[in-house]
Amino acid sequence: MSSSIIYYIREFCRPEWLKKFFFAKTPLLEAPAHFRDYPQLTGNECTHELRCMMICPSPGAIEVLKMDDGTWAPVIYKGHCIRCGLCVEACPDNVLRSGDLLERNKYEKTYFLASYFLHVDDAKCMKCGNCAVACPINKEIDPRLGSSAASSNDDVIMRVKDGRLTFLHPEKCTGCKTCEKTCPNGAITVARVVEGVQDED
Amino acid sequence: MSIIQKLKNKVRSRSIHVSYVNVGSCNGCDIEILACLSPRYDLEQYGIYVHNNPREADILLITGALCEQWDDKLVSLWEKIPEPKAAITIGNCPVSGCVFNRRGSYVNPPVSKHIPVAASIPGCPPRPSEIVSTILSLAPEVFKDFEEKKR
Repeated sequence: MSSSIIYYIREFCRPEWLKKFFFAKTPLLEAPAHFRDYPQLTGNECTHELRCMMICPSPGAIEVLKMDDGTWAPVIYKGHCIRCGLCVEACPDNVLRSGDLLERNKYEKTYFLASYFLHVDDAKCMKCGNCAVACPINKEIDPRLGSSAASSNDDVIMRVKDGRLTFLHPEKCTGCKTCEKTCPNGAITVARVVEGVQDED
Repeated sequence: MSIIQKLKNKVRSRSIHVSYVNVGSCNGCDIEILACLSPRYDLEQYGIYVHNNPREADILLITGALCEQWDDKLVSLWEKIPEPKAAITIGNCPVSGCVFNRRGSYVNPPVSKHIPVAASIPGCPPRPSEIVSTILSLAPEVFKDFEEKKR
C-alpha cells in the first residue's frame, strides 16, 4: 500500500509528466477544404444580376451594393449568413468563393440555371401597359416605348399588342420583378426558377 | 503588479469555467458546444471547464434567439455569475434571430440589448474550433489583471 503511494508521488514529480499534464495542448483543428466558409470576393466583376440575393435562404444575409468606385459588389452580413454557399454556386460570374466550392463545381460540372417565367392573368389585366413601361430591360431596348403602345418594336420583352399584353421575348427577363410592383391589379407575375444541372460528358 | 495578481492571472488562464444557456435555439449550437467536449476537440486541455451552474461560471455561453419568457430570467441568471464575468453569444440567433425572426414569432433578439455581450460567434452553427478559439482569446482580455483594472 505505502509503496504504491510512494510510486505515484515519484511518478507525479517527474518533470516530463508534469510538463505533459500542465502544458500539453494540441493546436485547434483547422477547417477542411470542403468547408463552406463565409463567401469572399474573388475579384471578378459583378454584373448585378442579383442571383445571389434571389437564392439566399436567409433573410438579410447578402446584399449587392454600389461601391464608392461605382462598381457593384455583394456584401455578406455575418450574424445573418448561414454559410450554405448557394450564392457562390448561383453566381454566373464567380464573383464569390467559399472554400474549394468553385473548383469542386468545375470538376463535377455542376451549376445552377436560372430562368424566369412571366404570366399574366387576362381577367385582371386592364392593358394599361405600366409593366412594359416600367421594365428596365424594355427601356434599354426601346426608350420610346410608351403606355399607349405607340412604339411597335418587336424586340422588347412585352408590350400591349392587339388589345392584349403579349410576351414577345420572355427569355430576356432578368427577374427584377419591377412589373409586379408597378401593376395596379396584381395581374402579372414573375416566377423565378432555379435548376441544378450536371453535364453528362 | 503584485505577486498575488500574477498568481491569479496564471491560475485563471488555465481555469476558465463556462456555463451555457439555451434561450430558445434549435439545439444545433448546443450540439456544437457538446462537440467541444468530445476527444476530437477536447475543451479541457485548454483549461476550459463546463458547468451547468452560473454561480460557478466565469463565462456564459448563450445560444438561441431569446424567447419572451427569457426576458427577465436571462438578466437574473447573468446577475448570479460572480465577477469577473463575460458573456459570449453563439450562432446567428442571438445576433439576428436567424430563422426564428419572422413576423408573428415570439422572439426578442439581439441578446446584447438585455445583457452586456463581450463577443459573438456568428455561424449557423459555428464550428467547435471557432467556439474554443473565441473563448481562449476573450478570457485573457477579461480576466487578466482584473483586480488592478477595477481599482
